[in-house]
Amino acid sequence: MKNAQVKIEFRNVSKTFIQKETQKVHVLNNINLSVYENEFLVILGPGQSGKTTLLRIVGGLESPTTGEVALDGREITAPGPDRSMVFQTYSLFPWRTVLGNVEAGLRFKGMAKQQRRQIAKKYIELVGLNGFETAFPHQLSGGMKQRVGIARAYANKPVVLLLDEPFGQLDAQTRMLMEKEIIRIWEEEKGTVVFVTNNIDEAIYLGDRIVILEGKLPGRISGEYKVNLPRPREHTDIEFLKLRKKIFNSTELIL
Amino acid sequence: MSQLLSLNTEPLASKTLFEHLWASIHRVLIGWAIGVSIAVPLGIFMGLNPYVRAIVKPVFDLLKPMPPISWISLSILWFGLGEESKVFIIAIGSFVPCILNSYNGIRLIDPALYDAARMMGANRRQEIIEVGFFASAPAIFAGLQISLSIAWSCVLAAELVGSRSGMGFIIILGMNQSSPALIIAGMVVIAITACLISVLMDRLEKMVCPWKRELPQ
Repeated sequence: MKNAQVKIEFRNVSKTFIQKETQKVHVLNNINLSVYENEFLVILGPGQSGKTTLLRIVGGLESPTTGEVALDGREITAPGPDRSMVFQTYSLFPWRTVLGNVEAGLRFKGMAKQQRRQIAKKYIELVGLNGFETAFPHQLSGGMKQRVGIARAYANKPVVLLLDEPFGQLDAQTRMLMEKEIIRIWEEEKGTVVFVTNNIDEAIYLGDRIVILEGKLPGRISGEYKVNLPRPREHTDIEFLKLRKKIFNSTELIL
Repeated sequence: MSQLLSLNTEPLASKTLFEHLWASIHRVLIGWAIGVSIAVPLGIFMGLNPYVRAIVKPVFDLLKPMPPISWISLSILWFGLGEESKVFIIAIGSFVPCILNSYNGIRLIDPALYDAARMMGANRRQEIIEVGFFASAPAIFAGLQISLSIAWSCVLAAELVGSRSGMGFIIILGMNQSSPALIIAGMVVIAITACLISVLMDRLEKMVCPWKRELPQ
């Protein structure tokens, strides 16, 4: 992986939010991080560690106060079609059907109806939602909503996929199923993935590499682990558990 | 009841019941359409643009607590006893709930929906059309509904003062003729009409916003 090409690079990134004109909240402190091409990187940190902000900076929804983030060597200043995001709260358009949600990005691009239907259908099938094309989001379960979120993100053919605690609102069973699904989809679609979570098991199950963000603001990187386990991984595999213990011990103060 | 039925055939002040009812509905529709077509865009601009908000909001906050009926005297002085003064009252009455709902509909949109649209490559115009329009549609529609029922009560109040037609006039006529039956007949027709209007608006809303159930309110 070290020889692989750097896809996203954080250089001395800090972020301070200003609340109510005077109050400053220091969210990220001096983040230096490289994400490699086709890597599944997990950012693991407790609540209030700035991990969502980190992801939103890559997405272009926030800009760093100091430092910069570059994608393929070009500084990120705004959202772009090369990046897609899957949100914790789904953020589907309630007024659009499953099909309408998945093809929304293609419609923004001005793609012809026939063509975007075709692409949307392909991704709806990929996430296993055939037959639900005309359903509205409120008719779907949480897991299905997030499948739409994933299909919607991939339909735009991003270079980098950003996932912000995508399974945080799901029950444990559905969550494990969705973890399996995201790996299956990723192995089919490839590409660079940055996945944010507060769950150690999820991080080890998914990641090629895990970056730990320390709790309590401002967030900073306090560790990094490579996960060299073959996929599909088993939550009860002895190596899995060893790594889990290692991460847990080194970060128990903050999680 | 018999009086109510006989009104259909026996004209009052040279108009049958339906002609009176139509006179009221006609005024409501015109006044409401005028009020709404000013209020909705203004409310939307207020929600989207802080400068528009800074100019409109203080004026509007001043007007908001005034009952529309308190404009009656002024409107008669300005527009006389004709249709214009009644339409004006109705427009004022429709205006307030409509602008308020449009403004809040835009303002209370979940910012995560804008984020989602931006991440999918929407430009500012597409963001406003896709997210702003659709996400606020149920609230704007609710504003239209409220303002229509207010418009209906405004027309009656307006017709109580110096009018020769309409349902409000029938009630006043009933009072002048000491005829409770006529008054009650008028009230029944008014209630049925209001009821029909709201059922119709509900239907229309389900057609226009089929996803509405999902929105937390």
